[in-house]
This record gives sequence, C-alpha cells and structure tokens, in this order.
Amino acid sequence: MLDVHDPAWTALFLSLKVAGWSTAITTVCGVAVGLLLAKGRFPGRDLLDTVLTLPMVLPPTVLGYYLLVLLGRQGPVGQWLQQQWGLNLIFTWQGAVIAASVVAFPLVFKPARAAFESIDDQLEMAAQVLGVSRIAIFWRVTLPLAWRGILAGILLGFARALGEFGATLMVAGSIPGKTQTLSVAVYEAVQAGDDASAMKLVLVISVTCCVILLLATYLAPGRKPAHP
Amino acid sequence: MANRYVPVYIAQSQTPHGAFMPVFQLSRRGVLLGAIGLVWSGAALAGEITVSAASSLTNAFKEVAQRFEQQHPGSKVLLNFGASGALLQQMAKGAPVDVLASADQETMDQAAQQGLILTSGRRNFVRNTLVVVVPAGSTRSMRGLQDLTQPAVQKVAIGNPASVPVGRYSQRALEAAKLWPAVQAKAIHTQNVRQSLDYVARGEVEAGFVYHTDALVQKGKVHVAFTVPLAGVIHYPIAPAASSSHIVEARQFVNYVLSPAGQAILAQHGFLKP
Amino acid sequence: MQLNLAFRKSLHTGQTRFDLDVALHSSASRIVIRGPSGAGKSMMLKAIAGLVKPDSGHIEVGGETYYTDHARRPIHRPPQARRVGYLFQDYALFPHLNVRQNIGFGLSKRWFNPRKHAADHRVDHWLNALGMSDLAHHYPRELSGGQQQRTALARALVMQPDLLLLDEPFAALDPDLRHVLRDELDRFQQRLGFSMILITHDDEDMRALGGENYLMRAGRLHKMEALT
Repeated sequence: MLDVHDPAWTALFLSLKVAGWSTAITTVCGVAVGLLLAKGRFPGRDLLDTVLTLPMVLPPTVLGYYLLVLLGRQGPVGQWLQQQWGLNLIFTWQGAVIAASVVAFPLVFKPARAAFESIDDQLEMAAQVLGVSRIAIFWRVTLPLAWRGILAGILLGFARALGEFGATLMVAGSIPGKTQTLSVAVYEAVQAGDDASAMKLVLVISVTCCVILLLATYLAPGRKPAHP
Repeated sequence: MANRYVPVYIAQSQTPHGAFMPVFQLSRRGVLLGAIGLVWSGAALAGEITVSAASSLTNAFKEVAQRFEQQHPGSKVLLNFGASGALLQQMAKGAPVDVLASADQETMDQAAQQGLILTSGRRNFVRNTLVVVVPAGSTRSMRGLQDLTQPAVQKVAIGNPASVPVGRYSQRALEAAKLWPAVQAKAIHTQNVRQSLDYVARGEVEAGFVYHTDALVQKGKVHVAFTVPLAGVIHYPIAPAASSSHIVEARQFVNYVLSPAGQAILAQHGFLKP
Repeated sequence: MQLNLAFRKSLHTGQTRFDLDVALHSSASRIVIRGPSGAGKSMMLKAIAGLVKPDSGHIEVGGETYYTDHARRPIHRPPQARRVGYLFQDYALFPHLNVRQNIGFGLSKRWFNPRKHAADHRVDHWLNALGMSDLAHHYPRELSGGQQQRTALARALVMQPDLLLLDEPFAALDPDLRHVLRDELDRFQQRLGFSMILITHDDEDMRALGGENYLMRAGRLHKMEALT
C-alpha cells in the first residue's frame, strides 16, 4: 500500500526519532526530579513541583512561544548557544526534541514522584541499618519497588511526545524530512486540501499508537492473560 | 455540515378538559423553543456575519469591520484570518462563512469550482506587491533574488506553496529566475504570511517573502530589501459565500470594502487600488 | 555491653510539640522499655540506630561514640557505620525479594541484590536455625506472621550486631507464638552475646525477657523495679 519512499514513512521515522530522544531525556530528568521531590525536605519544594507541572496545563502554543523567545537568536539561551557552540535549535529536529520534552516532562515526573512516595519509609530504614549505602538502596530497594509507576509515566510521556504539535510547530517549523513530524504533516495536508495524504498519515499514526498501547499493556507486569 | 436550520416543532397540548390551549400561548412556547433551537444550532444571530480573510488583511480588515459596524448599527462582523488555502478548506468542510477574501485568484477559483461562492458577487478589491524583507539590523547586501543564494543566507521564510498564496507567488518568481531549486533547499515553510514576517522580525531567518503591506506592520523590526518582480499582478478577490444565511449583510460588507470609504482604509494600510 | 545515652530531640507536628529527653547508663545486656503510645520509644530506638539525629547530647554504645554534639568534633555516624540491628514492628521485609534474599540482604554491599537462588552458608545457617529452609524461596506475602518475624530476626542477626533494637516485635502475634519466639530470642541472645533493647506493651515480655526495666513517659525514662 505505501511504498518505501513515501513521505509518510519519513514523517513517521522522524516522529519516532523525536519522541524517542524526548523520552530518553524526560526519563532521566523525570526520575531524578521525582526522587528529589519525593525524598527532599526543603523550603519551596511544593512550589517547585507546581512550577514544573506548568507545561501540563499551559497551551502548547504558549509553551512554543516561550521556547521560541528563549531559544531563538535573540533569546538569552539561544544567544549563548550561538556564541559558545555556534548552535541554533530553531528549525531543527533537536529543537523539536526540546519542545516535546518540555511538554511531556510533567507526565513523567509526577507518576515517578508518586511511585517513590508510595514506598514504605521503613524499608529504606531497614536497608540502611543493614549497612547498605544510600545509592545501593536506590538500585536495590527504591527503584525495584517504584519502576512500575515510573514506567506508566514514561509511556504517557512517549505518547505525548509522539503527538506533540503546537509547541513543535512554533519551535521547529515544518521542514519535510527534518522537522515535519506526523502531526504537523497531517495539519499541512488538511490545509492544502490533500485529503488522500491526510488519511494515509492519520492511518499510520493510529496504527503506531495502537502498537505502542498493546506493547505497554503486554509489558505491564501482573496482568492476567486474556485466555486462561 | 454545520446545522443551520433546526426543525422547530410547535407543540400542541390539551388542557385537562380536552380543549386546545389558546393560540397566543402556543406561539409564545413556539418562539421560546425556536430561540433555544437557534442558539443550540450555533448559527449567527441576525445581523452577524463571518468574514474569512487572508492573513495579510489582518490589520486592514479589523479596521474595515469596525467602521462597517459603525455604518450599519445592529450588525456584527466576526473575523477569521488564516492562509487562503486553510480558509478554503474550512469552507469546503462546511464552516459557516459569509464572505471570503483571499490573497490570490487561484484560491477563489477553487472556491468557485466547488460552488462555495456566489460568482456573480466576486470582485477584485486590492492589489499588493511581493517583497523580500530582512531583519532590521541586517547589513547583508540584498538587492535581488540571486542574493538569496549567498552562503551567508542560510534560511529563507517562504509560505507553504501548497496552501499559502504568498508561497505560490514566491515559487513562481524564483522559478522564473531559475533560482527555485537553490532557494528551496534553504526554505522554511510557514503556515501563513504573518508567520514568515514573525520569523524575520525575530532574526530566526535571514530573509523572508512577504507582501509589502506586511512589511509595514513590523516597520521597526524588518525592512524591505527589494520588490520581487512577478510576471502577473497580485489581485485580491472577495466574494459572498453561496450558502450564507445572511446574504444581504454579506453583500453589504463586500460593497463597503469596494466603496471609497473601505478603499481609503485599505490604502492607509499600504494596499493598492485594484 | 556498656550503654551511655543522654540526648534530646524535639519534634514539631503542626501545633503540637514533643520533647524527647533520654538518659540511660547501663551495662545490662537486656533492657526492656514500656510506656504509653506516643511516648517516644520508637524515636529513641531510631536515634540509637542513627535513623534520626538528636538535637543535642551523646550516644555511646560499647565504648564507641555514635553521636555527640561536641562543639569542635561533632559526630553523627550513619546507620551503615553502626553495629546495630533493628527489628521493626511491621517487620519491614523487602516485598520484592524472597526469604533467602531478605536474610542475605545486608551481606552484600553491592548495587544489585543477591540472586534468588544464591547459596551462602551464613544464610543457610540461619534458615536451619529457624527451621525455615523449605521457605527459602517464598516471598514475604506468602509467609505467616511468625515466619515473617523470624525472617526479620535472621536478617538482623546474620549481620552479627553488637546491639539489637526491637520495636514491639511480638505485638501482632498470638500468645502461643509469642511464647515460642521469646524463647528463641532468649536462646539466640545467650548464644551470640549481643545486647538488646526491647520496646513492648506486654507485661509477659518484661517478665520473661527483662534485664533492666524502664518506663518511658512523656519523653523521659524512669527505671522500674524488677518484676518478679
């Protein structure tokens, strides 16, 4: 049905690339921040949680605007990147990754925090008295007990990154092969009245999401099988 | 398809004694049901029209709409701006639009082909010129299209030719100068002409194709490098929608745009006489 | 073993404030502490274990200073550096590890847990001593209260602590089982020679196990006459 050189494939691979990198970033940052907020006792902790949750409630176009202002050639971060490394993130797939990461971040760190908080304090106390270092406790007790909740957040973050549109469009533009992700491609096809392309792209993205969801369901441990 | 006409049933009811209720009371209930039905169907109230206009007309049409409302008390103009291609798609999919003003003939031709406009009411109402703009502080030499091929020019904002008229004009001009392949490689496709303008104003791109009228909007942040030579003239057409439920007001709006008062406003914003 | 404790800790929860002011100097090998709930008994054990840092004072166990607020050389040894064992009221067994892995938990300081079927003669010794060899691969949720208690005890004792802290260890068990476990604890202590501080509500515990008996009330310890 679709031949190998179809632009739909390019858009799909680009979407998966952006979502993949974005998920890698949000996983590391989200777990770290979730741990910090769960275990840390410092003034302003809840305020920090609120600020970091903002991308979840702000409209993506508003986020895109803030990112454009920050990362653009006239923005503080953009200028610094330009001067230090001659880098410009606008109109690049790396910029799309940043946009997707910002948008997906709250979806990862909030479940991670909840997962860490659900662990009984006494378990970590017992491990300490038994002579195991705090880092070892994290890998041997905390993470094994929290990983399911964390994984749920990661999958949510991946799905969100895959579908990201508003912020991505503003920051990365729509350059076929470079930054035109599936969502953006659908939008442009509709605008141009190209219903055939739009349908094809929508089909590709729907099938991809179904596959991800099935994978997530299959991977989630403790599920009873459908057939006895 | 937007549901314009909601069937309104006037209920008849009997009093406990079997006689019919007086007509006067029935009419009241019918009017109430009808009003509720109208509100629920989402149709514009009497005297309200929706005007879909190309992005380049944003500033000018806001003023035109304001003055129109002053001239026609009781009327209300709802403005909807976007790339002409996008506006066409909205109408094609059934959006309740009363007037369409596009930035090129091609879009209006497609609209006519799909039976979306009243061809008898179609008129050209302004002319515009295509220019290349650069960020205000730019010192790069930019005198003609071939300067866009310089290596120093890394990104050029051009509207997506598939749906944005200014993009189509730009492509045509570049093809005529045999520069399209070279410049296309650096093109950043935008969703509408104002997005191109914004990118130039922010300095995210080294140059952008916009209308002369757009350059005036961001006078402080961009300046016009040169006018782009085009084979034809850029004429903007306007027409009332075929399925408009406010055809009288729609025609009134079109007439106002064509009137000396309307034309004066457009001229102030840099548009040229048709 | 000589115990020299004299420390203070203030706890603020909302409006209420609780002050712990503990003084204990004893060379008894068994110390039993009774007292109403909320009197601060658990807090005291946690301070000795190093899980809680006192506000002022000092804690010396067996001649070693675990904590002191000395102006120029303050000490607060982390739990990992204290030769102390702890039995939590709810046992605090690691739910994701089997009995063998739980018991052997503290024997490895690495960042990963001992394997499910790893053989370790020290773990085997304790499994035999407690009659739990056939339960080695079971998980805590599959064990009875008494079995969980024994597992927790083995886990603490395999580390060969100098001092064992027990926070109402038998509270959730029925009287017959309590009797059995008390005897086991008694035998182990006589054989291995560790000192013991036990918190309890049960008079019988005091009578059967008691060396020196104390009453804790409103954060202060009061020595009691031995019960006959």
